[in-house]
Amino acid sequence: MITLPLEQRLEILADSAKYDVSCSSSGSSRAGKAGTVGSTASSGICHTWTADGRCISLLKILLTNACIYDCAYCLNRRSNDISRAAFTSDEVADLTMNFYRRNYIEGLFLSTGVIRSANYTMEQLIAVARRLREVERFNGYIHLKLVPGADPLLIAQAGRYADRVSINIELPSRQSLALLAPDKPRESVINPMRQVSGLIVEAKEARTKSRRAPRFAPAGQSTQLIVGATPESDRDIITLTEGLYSKLELKRVYYSAYIPGSNDSRLPALPTPPLLREHRLYQADWLLRFYGFSAHELLDEARPNLDMRFDPKSDWALRHLELFPVEVNRVEYEVLLRVPGIGVRSAQRIVQARRGTRLGEVELKKLGVVLKRAKYFLTAGGRYLGGIRLDGPHLMERMLAPTRRPARLDQLELFAVMPDASALTGEL
Amino acid sequence: MTVFRYDGGFEGFLCAVGDCLEAGEKQPEFVRDGDVYSSGLFAGDIHEVTTVRETALMLRKRFVNAVSQEAFATARYAFHSQKAGIELLVWRYLTLGLQVGRRVCLMLTEEPVHSVNLIARHVSHEAHKYKGFVRFREVETGFLYARIEPEADILAFIAPHFVGRVGDRRWMIHDLQRNQAALYDLKSWRLVKNIELTAEPTLSATEHDYAALWQRYFQRHAIAERHNPKLQQKHVPLRYRKHLPEFEPDNDSL
Repeated sequence: MITLPLEQRLEILADSAKYDVSCSSSGSSRAGKAGTVGSTASSGICHTWTADGRCISLLKILLTNACIYDCAYCLNRRSNDISRAAFTSDEVADLTMNFYRRNYIEGLFLSTGVIRSANYTMEQLIAVARRLREVERFNGYIHLKLVPGADPLLIAQAGRYADRVSINIELPSRQSLALLAPDKPRESVINPMRQVSGLIVEAKEARTKSRRAPRFAPAGQSTQLIVGATPESDRDIITLTEGLYSKLELKRVYYSAYIPGSNDSRLPALPTPPLLREHRLYQADWLLRFYGFSAHELLDEARPNLDMRFDPKSDWALRHLELFPVEVNRVEYEVLLRVPGIGVRSAQRIVQARRGTRLGEVELKKLGVVLKRAKYFLTAGGRYLGGIRLDGPHLMERMLAPTRRPARLDQLELFAVMPDASALTGEL
Repeated sequence: MTVFRYDGGFEGFLCAVGDCLEAGEKQPEFVRDGDVYSSGLFAGDIHEVTTVRETALMLRKRFVNAVSQEAFATARYAFHSQKAGIELLVWRYLTLGLQVGRRVCLMLTEEPVHSVNLIARHVSHEAHKYKGFVRFREVETGFLYARIEPEADILAFIAPHFVGRVGDRRWMIHDLQRNQAALYDLKSWRLVKNIELTAEPTLSATEHDYAALWQRYFQRHAIAERHNPKLQQKHVPLRYRKHLPEFEPDNDSL
């Protein structure tokens, strides 16, 4: 597997890694130190964007795409006939350092297929991270994958070198996991997450007492759920997510629209990946983390799935019209956050600006508040901004109406009916 | 009406504002050294500003005490946009801050605060983007060279970031728009003006290899089923692509 030239192996192992959607290099703030290379920025830094519009922040590769498991949804499953390749730890270290110095990347995201055993594989990943930290003196961002079923001692070691660790749940329910990933019992994923969560809290506490206490995954842990490969509802997914954020204090839950890649009869045949659903789930996820919503407010037994026509906040507001409109000059910050179209930044600016002056429509626009949706839910100085007051169904209709200008009517062309001129002039 | 001629830098500008406050000038004009100033019918006296670091620091201290560190940072970002007339706008912002104090931070919808905030945000966004978009190439052994063409004068904002990051190599970030560069000599960085390259820099032996590997990685990383060039262009507008090796036309011969 190491016989192929490096550039080919880079292609194969990048190919195999790209379906892991975690991309961020955020959450860790470390200044550069003398004698080391690199630093981390708490905001994270994107370095470029690929043709699918996703950002590249970390060098995201697998150590190897050979795998002893046969998870139906995974490109790298044992039974899939693809080229297999592997990197040595020297090669990964060399690529990382050289890409990093040229400012192509913020750091390394290292994942792998499982070879021999979970513990052996985890040791290989740790060896690369240790080498980068101790030999190359690399001080940039490292994201390490945890291998399901790896020994707790190894997991505790991984977090010493990595900024962020992650282990993917992939499928939201035990049944789906048993069906599609028979080699990975749910415990083998959840237990390491629990352990990591505990270790992060411990390390943070220790550091409040002594600045010299070692860090453990300072940028926290994340996970990924595949959307659309199994029959779980959005409610199942969002409720699970809520639990992960509140109980295990995850930094991020990523959603990956399932891209059909096999003819396995256990998987649905989707014509296209459910990208809109993925988008709506991210919107709901943001509402949980930054807008004070809880899962049961967004979805319940009667409505187990998100409305694809609206963002989840508009959807919620339309079902709670009795709470609106609210007065932008008076209402608390927490309520402002619940107005469709108003984000965290807008809400903060409104709260700041209204201490100095009375806000009207003009002022709101100056603050950069987008009123397209918000106007139906706001009054400014007592005046309703949405024009005529509408009841629920009509308001919904109004908000769904295309707001863009109608497509430009085609200008009449002089020679529209003429065929290709070359046919007339005999050049053909 | 007095015309204050300063050296074009932020320190110089602060000194100009200081001189202006001292003279009690209510309608100043600012011009940079080297700019052609057409003295028309209503031209005022020209006052040459001498840049003294201590004067600039003193004005900064005064403003930070009166308003806040954050507001000063806003003024600094806005000034570096180098837009026409920005000096007057920032001068109004600074004097307003000295008059009304912390209340400036609440006057988000009023001028000049609104415009200054808007411009400052724009510049700080561009500076953040360039923390990702600077691309070093290895010239000779160990020396790193990068070219950028930003809209605003952002070198002062990004250079400290790269000092902390690539501190073990000498490097230079060359702003082609302004013929200036941030130069790092393993100890500290400094701004060098009026740079002219006499020849294309010779790249190190392995430079092409790593650029080619990066290009391959970049192309492979896109998921075909999610193809979305519009979204890509939103994040990487065409004007940034000139100096990004991953957007260079294919070089399969490498």
